[in-house]
Amino acid sequence: MGPRPSGAARQGAFGATVTFIVLFVVDFLLKGGHFSAFDLKTLCMNALPLVLVALGQFFVVLTNGIDLSLGPMMSVSGAIAALTFSTSPIGAVLLAMVAAAGGGLANAILVVRLRLPPILATLATMSIFQGVALVILPSPEGTVPAGLTAFLTNGGPALLPVPLVLLVCAALATGWTMTTRFGIWLRAVGGDEGAARSSGVAVSAVKFGAYVLAALLAGLGGLYLAIATANGSPTIGDSFILLSIAAVVLGRVAIVGGRGSPLGVVMGALTLTIIGSLLYFANLSSFYQSLINGLILVGVVGFDMIRKRFLLAVRGGRQ
Amino acid sequence: MTNTRRMRNSFARPVVLAPLTITGCTVLLFLVGSILARGFMAPSNVLMLLALSADLGIAAIGETVVILTGGIDLSIAWNVTAASIIFTGITQGNEGHLWIGVAAGLGVGALAGLANGLGIAKLNISPIVMTLGMNNIMQGLTLIYSQGTPSGSAPASIKEIATGWLGPIPIIVLVWIGLAIVVSACLHATRGGRYLYSVGESPMVSRLTGIDNDFVLIAAYTVSGFCAGLTGILFTGFSSMSFLGMGDQFVLPAIAAVVLGGASIYGGRGSYAGTFVGAFFLTVLTTVLAIVNISIGFRNIIYGLVIIAAVLLYRAYTRERE
Repeated sequence: MGPRPSGAARQGAFGATVTFIVLFVVDFLLKGGHFSAFDLKTLCMNALPLVLVALGQFFVVLTNGIDLSLGPMMSVSGAIAALTFSTSPIGAVLLAMVAAAGGGLANAILVVRLRLPPILATLATMSIFQGVALVILPSPEGTVPAGLTAFLTNGGPALLPVPLVLLVCAALATGWTMTTRFGIWLRAVGGDEGAARSSGVAVSAVKFGAYVLAALLAGLGGLYLAIATANGSPTIGDSFILLSIAAVVLGRVAIVGGRGSPLGVVMGALTLTIIGSLLYFANLSSFYQSLINGLILVGVVGFDMIRKRFLLAVRGGRQ
Repeated sequence: MTNTRRMRNSFARPVVLAPLTITGCTVLLFLVGSILARGFMAPSNVLMLLALSADLGIAAIGETVVILTGGIDLSIAWNVTAASIIFTGITQGNEGHLWIGVAAGLGVGALAGLANGLGIAKLNISPIVMTLGMNNIMQGLTLIYSQGTPSGSAPASIKEIATGWLGPIPIIVLVWIGLAIVVSACLHATRGGRYLYSVGESPMVSRLTGIDNDFVLIAAYTVSGFCAGLTGILFTGFSSMSFLGMGDQFVLPAIAAVVLGGASIYGGRGSYAGTFVGAFFLTVLTTVLAIVNISIGFRNIIYGLVIIAAVLLYRAYTRERE
């Protein structure tokens, strides 16, 4: 049972991709065999914030951690951007990112330096970030340059819309990160922290990086959300607390760390996004959305566990 | 022999010191409160604050039991809401349907908890994923059941339990204290309670000593779901109706109450007495913050900081012995 990161990772991404393609085909058929450039753009635009925050969650989960504060982090960065865009757009983006990095740093210090359990540390910072977002932006408001909104949601040629480009860039950048020494160490830390440490991996630095990177990606997600909705909202990120974890789990990333691929996570995020469209075209009320999200989350993990046990039993029988 | 004794002492310290600390902090808060508002320390106000803590305290019974096993229950939010909405939906404020409504509310909570326990124990799903998923499932079911607009109201008798007084004491406080005594007795003086600690301390050792870990876990999550259902019904009595999202306010404070009470998030250490004081502390804190007109945003920030401070402080208690 030695770790085989590449093989296991590819397998996970494969399952997640198949899930997405199946749902995509069902969605396609429900819409009457119709998929236009507009649909492509809408899908990417709706999926992008979730893809970004889920890729962030992916880094943390790889280290056998969890980050419940990423959703509210999105609210904070979006709120900051929406409030400062009118002063200086570049300043707004920078400020939002600095805030995200600061939040990530706080998580990293709590988890890595002070060795708090990740779930407690990020539960506390979840509450803190929710509070910060409410303090700086008590109610949804703010302005976003109309040109920026139009470009980031509607720009680009029909077959290569900007949201798609951004989505692919995010996936490629994360994929590249996983091939660097940082990425390899990340898997090592999640696979077996003790073994990683004794083979010279800078465990603390790697974990630090994971939490900061996660917050930065969540910050980008919140920024995009604010730009796309042309508004800041202090609670807009709350639903992403669950969704980011769900996307990672649907991407077949091991929740105990060490195994998983960015491609799987992107597919997980796309799957969750397309469920919304599916419900709409299947004429089911949006009330079903959270039910189905929950069922899929529990169902996928449960199914994987049953399959693993079955495979173990078969192997055991052969011996 | 000496080894076990040392172990017991090491676990006893935070279990005793943490509730003492949080009790001290509560007293301090009362001093601050009485400077800010006259009569804050009057017995009637203390009883009032206890009554306001009761729903949280009852929800935190389940969270205590689950955290003792080393797990966590994030599905309280919609378990509470689902129980409440079913309860008002069935009773429609009608006393005649009271018991069916109560049974349905408690049943829904317990069933959701049972499903959590089965997923976690039998399918090895991580508690975070399982209970987050269950929270969504219950949210979906509740929305479909109520079609987005909960109907009905609480029957008078439930309102009486939630807001009435028995002589000088609020009835809900008596209910809460009664439950606290029963829960503490179960945790510390029954075999089931010892199993709970044992599973949380070391699942492996617990299994080797012949404890059915799976059964203990399933029971723990079922109890948590049941407590959420009970909270839902009692909170309905307090607000006299049900509404979407009414359970959201319990999730973080319930976990916070358990942690403030000195339980270890890794399981195996903690007490309901601690949680009881933790829940009371949080309510007093909220009230004091409300007196000085602190906004919800700042309140959330302070909640987060309090949790971090408590965990760091309590760890110092455990470390001292080493």
